[in-house]
Amino acid sequence: MADASVESQSSMMSPSIWLEKGFGLAFPFIVALVVAAVILLVIGENPIDIFSLMAKESFGSERRIAATLSAATPLLFTAVATAICFRTGVFNVGVEGAFVVGGIAAAFIGFSLPAGMGFAIILVAFAFAALVGAIWLYIPGVLLAKLQVDEVVSTLMLNFVAFGVTGYLVNGPLLSEVSGNNVTPPVHEAAELTRLMPPSTLHAGFIVGILVVIAYAVWTRRTPTGFSAAMVGYSQRFSRAVGISVPASIILVMVLSGVVAGFGGASHALGQLHRFTDGFSPGYGFTGMAVALLGRNSAIGIVLGAILFGALASAGTTIQLFSNIPLDLVNIIQGTVMIFAVVEIGRLRFLSRRAAP
Amino acid sequence: MAEAATARADATVRLGARNISKSYGPVRANRDISLSVAPGEIHAIVGENGAGKSTLMRILQGMEHPDSGAIIVDDQEVRFSQPQQALETGIGMVHQEFMLAPDLTLLENLVLGDEPVSLAAGPLSRIDWAQALQSGEELAKKTGVAVDWRRRAGGTPVHIQQIVEIIRLLRRGTRILILDEPTAVLAPQQVEDLFVLLRNLRDTGTTILFISHKLKEVVALADRVTVIRRGEVSYSANVAETDSDTIARYIVGGNDTSLIETGRASRSKTGDGEVVLNVTGLEAPSLEKSHPLHGVSLSVRKGEIVGLAAVSGNGQDELVECLVGLRSASKGRVELLGGDVTHATNGERRRKGIAYISADRRHEGLATLAPVQDNVVAGSHDRPPIGKGMFLSLKQKRRVATERLASVDVRYGHLSDPVSSLSGGNQQRLVFAREIASDPKVMVVSQPTRGVDLNGIAAIHKLLLQFRDDGGSVLLVSEELEELLYLCDRIVVMAAGRIVGEAPVEGTDIAEIGRMMVMQGHADG
Amino acid sequence: MIVEQIIAASIVMTTPILLAAMGGLVNRQAGIVNIALDAKMLTGAFVAVVVSSATGSWLVAVIAAALAGALVGLLFSLVITRANANMIVAGLGLNVFVAGFLGFILTWVYKSSGTLRLPDVQLLPHFLPESVSGVPIIGRALAELEPLTVFAWATVFVLPFLLASTRIGLWVRVTGNAPQVARSMGLPQKSIQDFSTSFAGFYSGLGGAHLALASIGLFNEGLTAGRGFIALAAFYFGRDRPVATAMVCLLFGFLEATQIRMQTAGLPPKLIGTIPYLMVLVALCIAGWRASRRKALS
Repeated sequence: MADASVESQSSMMSPSIWLEKGFGLAFPFIVALVVAAVILLVIGENPIDIFSLMAKESFGSERRIAATLSAATPLLFTAVATAICFRTGVFNVGVEGAFVVGGIAAAFIGFSLPAGMGFAIILVAFAFAALVGAIWLYIPGVLLAKLQVDEVVSTLMLNFVAFGVTGYLVNGPLLSEVSGNNVTPPVHEAAELTRLMPPSTLHAGFIVGILVVIAYAVWTRRTPTGFSAAMVGYSQRFSRAVGISVPASIILVMVLSGVVAGFGGASHALGQLHRFTDGFSPGYGFTGMAVALLGRNSAIGIVLGAILFGALASAGTTIQLFSNIPLDLVNIIQGTVMIFAVVEIGRLRFLSRRAAP
Repeated sequence: MAEAATARADATVRLGARNISKSYGPVRANRDISLSVAPGEIHAIVGENGAGKSTLMRILQGMEHPDSGAIIVDDQEVRFSQPQQALETGIGMVHQEFMLAPDLTLLENLVLGDEPVSLAAGPLSRIDWAQALQSGEELAKKTGVAVDWRRRAGGTPVHIQQIVEIIRLLRRGTRILILDEPTAVLAPQQVEDLFVLLRNLRDTGTTILFISHKLKEVVALADRVTVIRRGEVSYSANVAETDSDTIARYIVGGNDTSLIETGRASRSKTGDGEVVLNVTGLEAPSLEKSHPLHGVSLSVRKGEIVGLAAVSGNGQDELVECLVGLRSASKGRVELLGGDVTHATNGERRRKGIAYISADRRHEGLATLAPVQDNVVAGSHDRPPIGKGMFLSLKQKRRVATERLASVDVRYGHLSDPVSSLSGGNQQRLVFAREIASDPKVMVVSQPTRGVDLNGIAAIHKLLLQFRDDGGSVLLVSEELEELLYLCDRIVVMAAGRIVGEAPVEGTDIAEIGRMMVMQGHADG
Repeated sequence: MIVEQIIAASIVMTTPILLAAMGGLVNRQAGIVNIALDAKMLTGAFVAVVVSSATGSWLVAVIAAALAGALVGLLFSLVITRANANMIVAGLGLNVFVAGFLGFILTWVYKSSGTLRLPDVQLLPHFLPESVSGVPIIGRALAELEPLTVFAWATVFVLPFLLASTRIGLWVRVTGNAPQVARSMGLPQKSIQDFSTSFAGFYSGLGGAHLALASIGLFNEGLTAGRGFIALAAFYFGRDRPVATAMVCLLFGFLEATQIRMQTAGLPPKLIGTIPYLMVLVALCIAGWRASRRKALS
């Protein structure tokens, strides 16, 4: 054993560290905007003009705000599902897959139960989607907790299994007989989530999403299991030594993540598309990861991040029409945010080390 | 192959330190240390864990920079900005954790970073394995050991790994060899073999710096010994002119007579209370670089502090983990308040009334990046008053945390500051605050004052004595014999995974216990 | 006849996966799990089409694709080794970024959405004389043989030697196996990792070039179709050993080549497509189960 005389630095949390933290939250997004600005300059556009156009297109009117919130809706779910695991130190990248299987599960309930059941179909559909999502992520959760199977690889692989299985289902057993390839029949009208601001597609799923974020906030701060999970995220050895069961926490957060992702899939299927199609998710799980990273797993951060990415998506679509700026700019920004959200952790560590005497 | 830097035959000091000091924050790991090792000498550095030996070695090896003072090689002052430079100067170190890549063969490990090539093409150069093997064989012959160079390092017995590491250094021109507790992992016969090898090396001109806990080995092997205690050189002598009793006294501070005469706290008043923690015939596999447990039996009564004295790596960590439920025993029985808890989890034992102060405060005792309040309530967060059914009361959490922190006078800035912002002493007090708050019957306490300043030590001692006077029982594991003598009612000595002796505190000589700890280790190991 | 077709198609389908997997396994041996192989393949495919069209030379196009992949790999590596970024998140981010970046260029420069068709794209040549197609069973595969497939398989058999017996091979292995040993022996651990990630980018770029130039001669946003992840699955299952990994790639190539035929036999291609990933899951479970048993026994 090495000499244990080395002490951790004793320095109080100073205001400058809080400033640094605040900057840390904005840093990846600032970098992404700079990258986008450079690209815009290269193609001869004025970034300020484009950014202000984008701001107008995403928040400029009631309709645009509705479009932004609509685009943010699935991200609320996937970001919470990701954050639940990340704050526990579980690197679950399988939210995308759970979202997709949850979506098909809800769609299946939505068109196969008798239409006469009315609102109850929605409840059953959400419950079933949550169950399927939970089982989906329970598998890698148990593998990690009991056999130390690397969760990154197992959840990544499960995503592709989800795409394959759902792709098979919508082309086979669940294929709509009237609508052609790659789609299920539409859900009953009774199973559709209410549109909040027609003609916008903003639907009741957004409210469910906000409720999920609130529930997440309550869970993280005001429940013993949320507390335990946070401790596991800080240090597994410490948690074990104070009597917290690490495997139980890991399995719990994977299941919760699956439930939330399943809800997200249900919301998207019943509220947005009214059915399940191949290509159901254009990567909401991964964008949700960017949101969770940007929001540092905090509830408020997640809401802001989801709205930010929702705004990018909704502005991106219309901006392509108005200014010939390709929609792909949004992906560039998202990718940059993801990369710099993790780079920045190293940067912070570097700064604080330098600050130490 | 690297050319050995030309050794100066006429040097009087092959390797030395001149007034080296090094602090980590408030802790002064090395204070004004001077040392000189003559060419062709085996020089032993001894001292307790935490005395500052490893810091000194890291400095000599270029891994750390001294705050002040200088390193001397061949009578010249040198400066190392990285380990590579020390290696090129001819200083090589064999660490406690062996530095071989487990999935590579011994031969691959041997040539790493200095490969003989048959076709030079920069990184794409083809390695000349035949030549590599030849150089390995030659050096192995010198050491008198047969090495199967094609074996995976990970599947090779540790003593062979160690020898390969020594050979690797020799091959790169090392003429000053530093060995950090090289015998910790070896069986007695292997220790003998290693000593033969080291004497051979000395006789062919290699200078050896040998770090050890074990006096018997020092006396058997070294030409000269230097004792480091609390960051300072407390003693230095030619081995031929001293004896192990004298060295032992300097290691444990036995010459500081004032402490021994007055350094005793009040004794337990309850005396022959009921047995609250009872261990019989415990056996368990070992952690890395340590000893498995062999039939360990001991008991702790109500209202007494039992000390467990052992040099680190002699099974005390395994025992502690078995007691608190972090490691499962392969044989034997652990009873808590008369109930069998041998197979109970850590959580279950805690609920029955056991508390645990870990020796590894920074990784096990605390979650250093988590807020102060979370650290001090963790473990009782799921029970009233904090946990109420499915929910957790933030108000109660704050209240409980504030009360607990105040009860042991922890100085902190804000409840939500990370624990890492606290000083070592305050961190340890926080751990005590958490553990005592659950109103335990027994506390298993391991190295409670390691890395804690003097005021902090006094506070922790007071806490332990108070706990005992209130009827609590303590099993205290420490390498600080003074601390054990000061606090304990009885001391049990452990060596090589066995209990080797027990003594009441009254009338026991500190050197006597020290001898049991350091001498008995291999007598029956 | 059908057998000949299947063999030929399997080999063609295997090549891009194989190239990316060879790069990825070297990367993983150096301790980096490269989740962004797909991004580098996509980059390689795009560059290959553009350069082939511009120069009319498949060789220049292939080299440009490999270098572009290596450059992306190097930048990715710097983010990980010098800025301490988490390799998984950064990898996923890079996939999103590259897809966006290429899509942007496609739309902006070439005014096309999704697919890039350029004139005069020179495809990879079939260099064996047409007469080899007369050889039984493998004749068709021989006739369709192009340089990248040969290069890929040459790599499979050269790589074990390079890893075992060159300096850089030894350095790569020790860096992944025991980074602290590499550091203490004075090896530039970070630069070695940067090299290995560039290497992975180089080979993924080649894989992308093969996708674009083997037969279709155009670029499409969905061209890689997750092949970077199939390659990842292959070297996980092949435990980073070149020959074993190549065999897994061959199996995956075969599955891809026969998907259409299996459909007529009642086996849905989408389900077949999940086999590589399920195989990795099973392999991970077995490895985990073995490790836990070993731990319990000791």
